Amino acid sequence: MPAEYALSNVWIGLGVVGILFAIFYAVGYMSSRKTASDEDFYAAGFSIGPVTNGLGMAATWASLATFLGVIALILKLQVPFVYLWIQWAISIPLLTLLYGTSLRRMKAFTPATFIRQRYGKPATVVIVCWMILIMVMYALGQMIGLGRAFELLFGVPYNTAIIVAGLATVGFITVGGMYGATYNAAFQMVVMTVAMVVPMGAIMKALGSSGWWFPPLAYGDMVPEMIKAIPSFFDMKYDFRWYFALIPAFTLGPVALPHLAMKVFTSSSVKSARWAVVWFALFLGLLFSGTYVVGFTGNFFTATTGRVIEKADQTLLILNVFYNPTLVAAFVMGGAVAAGLSTIGGNLMAIAGLVGSDLLGVIAPDMDSSKKMRWGYAALAMGGLLAILMAFKPPKFLVTSILWAFGLLATTATPAILLGVWWKEANKLALIVSSTLCGFLYIVISPHVIPSIVVGGGLVAKLGMSGGMVTIPLSFAMFIVLSIAFNRMAVFKSFAPTLADKRVIDRIHGWGTDYEETRYNGITVPIIAAAVCMAIFFWGLVPWT
Amino acid sequence: MKEKLYKKEITLTIVFSVLLLLMGHSASIFVLFPVLQQGTLWGFPIQYIVPILLGWFGIAGVCLIMTLVCNKFDDEMEEYVNSLPPETETDSESVKE
Repeated sequence: MPAEYALSNVWIGLGVVGILFAIFYAVGYMSSRKTASDEDFYAAGFSIGPVTNGLGMAATWASLATFLGVIALILKLQVPFVYLWIQWAISIPLLTLLYGTSLRRMKAFTPATFIRQRYGKPATVVIVCWMILIMVMYALGQMIGLGRAFELLFGVPYNTAIIVAGLATVGFITVGGMYGATYNAAFQMVVMTVAMVVPMGAIMKALGSSGWWFPPLAYGDMVPEMIKAIPSFFDMKYDFRWYFALIPAFTLGPVALPHLAMKVFTSSSVKSARWAVVWFALFLGLLFSGTYVVGFTGNFFTATTGRVIEKADQTLLILNVFYNPTLVAAFVMGGAVAAGLSTIGGNLMAIAGLVGSDLLGVIAPDMDSSKKMRWGYAALAMGGLLAILMAFKPPKFLVTSILWAFGLLATTATPAILLGVWWKEANKLALIVSSTLCGFLYIVISPHVIPSIVVGGGLVAKLGMSGGMVTIPLSFAMFIVLSIAFNRMAVFKSFAPTLADKRVIDRIHGWGTDYEETRYNGITVPIIAAAVCMAIFFWGLVPWT
Repeated sequence: MKEKLYKKEITLTIVFSVLLLLMGHSASIFVLFPVLQQGTLWGFPIQYIVPILLGWFGIAGVCLIMTLVCNKFDDEMEEYVNSLPPETETDSESVKE
């Protein structure tokens, strides 16, 4: 990195990050004193109000990729990646609408809690294993970003940065449980929004924009010069299938993310969860729009000044080092660190819930709750250490591992949750077969494991978009068709939904004790859905240009 | 009453799912209908700024309406459930597959 892009005074950076970490540890410590039961540890006692929860949801979702990886990809791909990012804001609203409030009624700790009640133990093990793998992948992406931020901030080698940042992070999350993760995430969202948006005003002013007073939406006067410098910047560039593929690969994956669902479950009530989603949309929209202006300005900066940004992941930090005082640049880096911490917090809490509550609920159902909670703490720390170790050899782009994991989640877990909540015919064995087969197929046809077997190519394959467009509809279709078939075959009778399984569905939809066999039990609509999924599956197999 | 509530729940879920998908994926519409890629708003090409605005204020607006409507629906559902007679042992056993 050229010296002109480095922080001129490392001690200022150290001071800012030190203060932030002191606050995070203090919040974690105070929160730990409120944690007395597993409901407190995994769901903050189901007590979080809508504004705090909305901030916490946005912080948990925003992640370090918002500060580093997405800006890098806007720098490389320009506007199509802005479109890719926009659609993520519907994840938590969709999650809340489609199953979040239903699972909040049953006081679930994670989506796998529902899987255990609805499908039984073997299916829970399958889904929990996939979810843990995906959470570790997700935490890995954040760890890599933290390492990069610390590397730039203090000028230390990447591996050293990973160890210091990783251990400090895992420490305060382990201390605080869900209370600490939620209150810290709310505070972190404020820090990251200020760090993303406010300093950009000064940068835009330096670049001659009259819209510096509101960076997220007021940079229209820079557009003519941008089009002159990069005529293709606003081009949509890809055909319709690229944009359509975002739905299976990226919209349906986050819908099943356990750490996002857990934020809905911590709400004080079902109604409060919905209000939290309104705040979430407003807060996240502000932060995301700030990200788009940074991507735009990064392109503008390189095109109009002739300077090169060698590490695209560090565009925001470099712009601030270049245009703003050291203290401001250090605060922006602190904001990036906060973004990473809030998401790792959510990831590790999800791992704790999946192991401590869901997996142990299967392996050792009679274990008392305090012992399960201790296992949850241990799983949380182990998940963090695993992510630190894996981060030593990172993929090229920070977001690659995360986005790839979304496709895997949409393939393995989303059908189980959505069909389980809305369809009584959903069969345990059909779930195990479709989730396992399609999950492994997704891994095989992505270029990360066997590069010679791949659907699509280039970035769409690396990000899991082309693979997801094949395996996700296949997983839905296979689950539906196999469920209908297995439920009608005497040999598979033991896997068919029992009356207790079906009653769970009516109950979580709010019907109380009023059970109706025909409710959520049709097969016409599922068969039509399976046919549509198969059409998308074949469309996904058509070679990508 | 319960048939009406069931239909209403399904309808609300489908309508809001579609609205959220439209807000989050509005860029696809500009790809599907390139003729719409004309004109500017606040200095930006329309196909750039409209998806950003819908992805922020559009989603927030849909979420607000969804919250008001679904919370009201919950009240109706609660009212219905409260109107039911208490469940007895006989009722439980009569619900068989």
